Amino acid sequence: MKTLKTLFIALLVVALAPLAQAQTADEIIDNYFEITGGKANWEKLEGAKMVGSVNMQGMEIPIEMFQMTDGRQLLKINFQGQEMVQYAFDGEEMWATNFMTMAAEKSDAETTENMKKNVGDFPSPFLNYKEKGYTVEYIGEETKEGAETYKVKLTQKPIMVDGKEEPTISYHYFDKDNGVLILTETRVNQGPMAGQMSMSTFSDYQEVNGLYFPFSISMGGQGVALTDIVIDPELEENFFAFPEKK
Amino acid sequence: MKKLILTIFALALLPLSAMAQEEVTLKGKELFGDMRARHIGPALMSGRINDLELHPTNTRIMYAGTAGGGVWKSSDGGATFAPIFDDHVQSIGVVTLDPKNPDQVIWVGTGETWTRNSVSVGDGLFRSTDGGGTWKEIPGFENSERIASVVIDPTNSDVVYVGVLGALWSDSEDRGVYKTTDGGKTWNKILYVNPATGAGDVIMDPKNPNVLYTSMWEFRRTGWGFNSGGENSAIYKSTDAGKTWNKIHNGFPAGKLGRIGLAVAPSDNNRLYAVLETEDKEKNGLWVSKNAGQSWEHLNNDFGLVVRPFYFSRITVDPRNPDIILKGGLSGSISRDGGKTFKNLGNMHSDIHDIVFHINDSDIIYAGTDGGVYRSWNGGTTFEIVENLPLSQFYHISTDNAEPYNVYGGLQDNGSWWGPSSSPGGVEARDWNSVGAGDGFRVLKHPTKNIVYSEMQGAENVWRIDVDKNRTKTIQPLPKKGDAELRFNWNAPMAVSAHVPDRFYMGSQFVHRSDNMGDSWTIISPDLTTNDPKKQDQSSSGGLSVDNSGAENHTTIFTIAESPLDQNVLWVGTDDGNVQVTQDGGANWTNVTPNLVGIPANTWVYHIEASVHGKGTAYAVFEGHTTGDMKPYTLKTTDFGKTWKSIISDDIDARAFVRNIQEDYVNEDLLFLGTEFGLYITVDGGENWSHFTNNMPPVAVHFIDMQKATNDIVMGTHGRGVIIIDDISPLREIDQEVLSKDVHFFDTEPVTMVEEGGFSGGFGNETQFVGGNKPTSARIIYYLKKRHTFGKMTMEIQDMEGNTLTTLTPGKSKGINVVNWNFNTKSPKMAAAKTLSFGGFTAPRVPAGKYKVVLTKGKDTYEHIIETTYDNTAITTLAERKNQEEMTQTMFKMVEDLAYMVYEIGEMQTKAQEVINNNPKGKKVAQQLYDALEDLRTDLVVTTGDNYVASAEPELRERMGDLYANIAGSYDRVTGAQMQNYGLIKEEFEKEKQRFEAIKNKEGKKFMKFLEKNDMELKLASKEEFLGDK
Repeated sequence: MKTLKTLFIALLVVALAPLAQAQTADEIIDNYFEITGGKANWEKLEGAKMVGSVNMQGMEIPIEMFQMTDGRQLLKINFQGQEMVQYAFDGEEMWATNFMTMAAEKSDAETTENMKKNVGDFPSPFLNYKEKGYTVEYIGEETKEGAETYKVKLTQKPIMVDGKEEPTISYHYFDKDNGVLILTETRVNQGPMAGQMSMSTFSDYQEVNGLYFPFSISMGGQGVALTDIVIDPELEENFFAFPEKK
Repeated sequence: MKKLILTIFALALLPLSAMAQEEVTLKGKELFGDMRARHIGPALMSGRINDLELHPTNTRIMYAGTAGGGVWKSSDGGATFAPIFDDHVQSIGVVTLDPKNPDQVIWVGTGETWTRNSVSVGDGLFRSTDGGGTWKEIPGFENSERIASVVIDPTNSDVVYVGVLGALWSDSEDRGVYKTTDGGKTWNKILYVNPATGAGDVIMDPKNPNVLYTSMWEFRRTGWGFNSGGENSAIYKSTDAGKTWNKIHNGFPAGKLGRIGLAVAPSDNNRLYAVLETEDKEKNGLWVSKNAGQSWEHLNNDFGLVVRPFYFSRITVDPRNPDIILKGGLSGSISRDGGKTFKNLGNMHSDIHDIVFHINDSDIIYAGTDGGVYRSWNGGTTFEIVENLPLSQFYHISTDNAEPYNVYGGLQDNGSWWGPSSSPGGVEARDWNSVGAGDGFRVLKHPTKNIVYSEMQGAENVWRIDVDKNRTKTIQPLPKKGDAELRFNWNAPMAVSAHVPDRFYMGSQFVHRSDNMGDSWTIISPDLTTNDPKKQDQSSSGGLSVDNSGAENHTTIFTIAESPLDQNVLWVGTDDGNVQVTQDGGANWTNVTPNLVGIPANTWVYHIEASVHGKGTAYAVFEGHTTGDMKPYTLKTTDFGKTWKSIISDDIDARAFVRNIQEDYVNEDLLFLGTEFGLYITVDGGENWSHFTNNMPPVAVHFIDMQKATNDIVMGTHGRGVIIIDDISPLREIDQEVLSKDVHFFDTEPVTMVEEGGFSGGFGNETQFVGGNKPTSARIIYYLKKRHTFGKMTMEIQDMEGNTLTTLTPGKSKGINVVNWNFNTKSPKMAAAKTLSFGGFTAPRVPAGKYKVVLTKGKDTYEHIIETTYDNTAITTLAERKNQEEMTQTMFKMVEDLAYMVYEIGEMQTKAQEVINNNPKGKKVAQQLYDALEDLRTDLVVTTGDNYVASAEPELRERMGDLYANIAGSYDRVTGAQMQNYGLIKEEFEKEKQRFEAIKNKEGKKFMKFLEKNDMELKLASKEEFLGDK
């Protein structure tokens, strides 16, 4: 009996999961949250500590990423036994470690302001995107990583680039088969890649406290492999702050 | 969560039952997975620009619409550009920004409009509403072929006018001016003359959007001629937003007109300028109207104003001064007196098609030429080139057998070149070598000598270049007494023999053969063309302005193919539709044209590929675009042309006419097709074709070569330079069996661990295009039936005993995945210190041998064995290399021994500090231990300073790490100096170890006793634990 019931539910899910052709961006996004743990559970999330490593041609660099839903974040790397904060943002100030002196330095005002404008990126910019002032648009179907996907455009708040306002636009590809996000393209606004797209891919989704996170992320060709995700980690009050203040 | 698991479960089940019987289709994007093309340019000569567009308010933003390389955007005021239109046709007519929303809304009319013989074709009208991120085709312009103008009402973005120049080689009712009032949903044709007359410039009065001007042009090209001009060319004006149009010719000479360039001064809407092509030479050139077109006066017919109107008809008026005018042309011209007099613009690439003033500063001028975009900062006297636009337009390419191999090719208006397929630091502008002037076409390397053959248009010169000695000789076939006048195509065919190295072929209407590298020639065929005299009068080509550049020479041989299996089998294709073959080295020729199937008469034979898979096997590619027939045609014969079979399927765009085919040398069913809209690949002999789009825009592919040693597909594109797909050998194995497996590793040949170490410079690369290199790493290639999304998937390299050497990041795409491994194992764990030791960045390479690739996907494990070999260019003996590998391991171990020692010291110090802080009784022994250890530590590792100029003197760790890195990173034997240094460091390390033992025995013992007494413990990780924690 139980088997039958399971099978019935399975078939039902199959019928539901690959969504019918006519799509709206909201349907795709809602389905994504539903399938990865439920929107209500995602909303309860306050932050996460992600432990893993970056493999740079034989050199495995341990990393710890801390991301809070209020925008606070910190990336710690371990280099030859030395821990250093590659960058951090405490909600007000953004800072980074200078690799020459190994000392903390504050980021420039424009970078910090831009960070403040789009603090809603974790766990997903799509979570309650309207309240964040973002807009979404369904673009169409596209093949990415060999998979059939739905392409959704996300427009966040414009940022300033060298004194001039630039839109913040990215494209997100949700696998048609299973509804999860597998690839994101973001327009690069500055630097030598300006005007081109930077690609991130997501895979190895695994469950942590009922929420599904990608444990393998590739950003611009650089792979990040996560081994552990701690939900709502307990952190010191000044954890994200510029060291002076500690 | 439950739902997710169920979904996965169900999805995994369902396809099994539903698709068990079904054949997997051998096509589609997923076939190629993450096999990606790489672009190597060159950009140093760039390529033709059709249209430039500046942002109306943001001085950093500008766009270049290119003739064959898509749309490029600059965000830094023209210093560098990036492509933004790579999913669509690459031939661009016009780029227009919406004046009300220039950041977001961009219109692109496709199909280049400066209608030379070699132009590509467009594919309609496109719009982006997100600054170029995504594009949508606007319906209604599918057959427009060439769009010259898009004009948007600055007061209402829904009102847009589009000028369709239309088809170049045929009649078309799609020509004319179109208008939408609903932002592109519906369109009305508001000005139409006849099927031969298209809309050139459509312009709008800068103050009154209801006032429009249009120039109409009657023109036609054939394979053998060109006509510009007719009774229907005219300037029209509308004052009611396009409802009614009137000719405004008051003052113009009567009779036919040709192409007309038109401009209105932005600062004076009564001032109109027009460049005319008329029947009266004296009246050609620049005209002005100072009353908004009511009457015209003639100003100037200097060369710069009348030269090649079909190619140069752009006039631009300074936005701030109606008397300052720029005119495109061979050199480009500028007038500062309202058009009465002109001077040439400063030196830049010739053939200026579009030219614009900066929005705020007229000293700054941007020009679009046959050789890219140029910038002037001083009002047009000095120009500098934009260095990162790889828009080179190849007619032909070939490769050699060097390592890395070189690519040879000729370019539209940019000579002939060769350059490396890979180069230290990437393929840069300075890597390319010039081997010909004028328009370049075929460039071939002598099979055994360092000799290069190249040519210019119409075989006016064919060069034989001795590369080593830097000597050039002109060797084209010349007529001798009794010969007919030789007719060479503009892009005249050449071929080298695979059987007789000094043999060289050329084609006029005859096949010419030389057995001494072009010093003397023998005609070995009769006239193989139709020799139709109606297609041979080029002296009057051009229409109102004669244009006899040689580009229209017709009834000529266009392709010559010698069988790789038999030197006596030669295939010839002509531009007027003949396929001819000889099996006896030219004594007898058979015209097999009547045996062709489905090819309209006289369709240009663009390429014949003589197969390696059978003497009588060949592929013939036909293209009829110069008659307006855009259909793809490719035939295969296996019996010397007696019977033919089409290998084109419906998968190929119906307008993607074919210019080239390349067969695989191993698998007869694997074929590569170069079309006007990019590359198609079949793995089943043409039953199914797949469009290759991974970093490959739908650019016109004019020629494909396959480099035999590397299995690379090398494409000469007409607008995006040389594009390479590295090692296509996995495609040889694609079949039903492979595609039905969950995971399939493709076989790989033993990989050479390439040894190179040099410097790459890289100066100037900030703003220069640098082409990607072929990875020298091992390529681990596998097929995944489904994209991996849920659960762990990892990959590691193991030795044959199963010890992990390193981990890699596997690709997860459905289809083919390529993972690169650079033969490195893991880098050593370094002793902790204040600063970084560069020794820690070096990982030892593996010795030559067999290794296991282990892919773990969920619960399943897949293994594949790869083999590595030493480079045969090695500068060491095997014994020396083994010694180097041993020393590397010895030093690696020493570096990690030191790391563990420093770890032990650190842990003991931490414990001692704890006691100092909390246990007054033990403070003394703890302090003694701490100080002794600190004394030691400061001799082992750097404890002060930074990573730059405030760095401390190197300690043991730094010196040891440097020696390790130098030995491990070298391809040479370990030097005597290194061995002596090793002796010193080893001795020093031994001493420090003894010192550490002594401390442990003295201060350490006392401290340990104290700990024991007080029930405290010092916990140390074992060395294995410590090193495992990487």
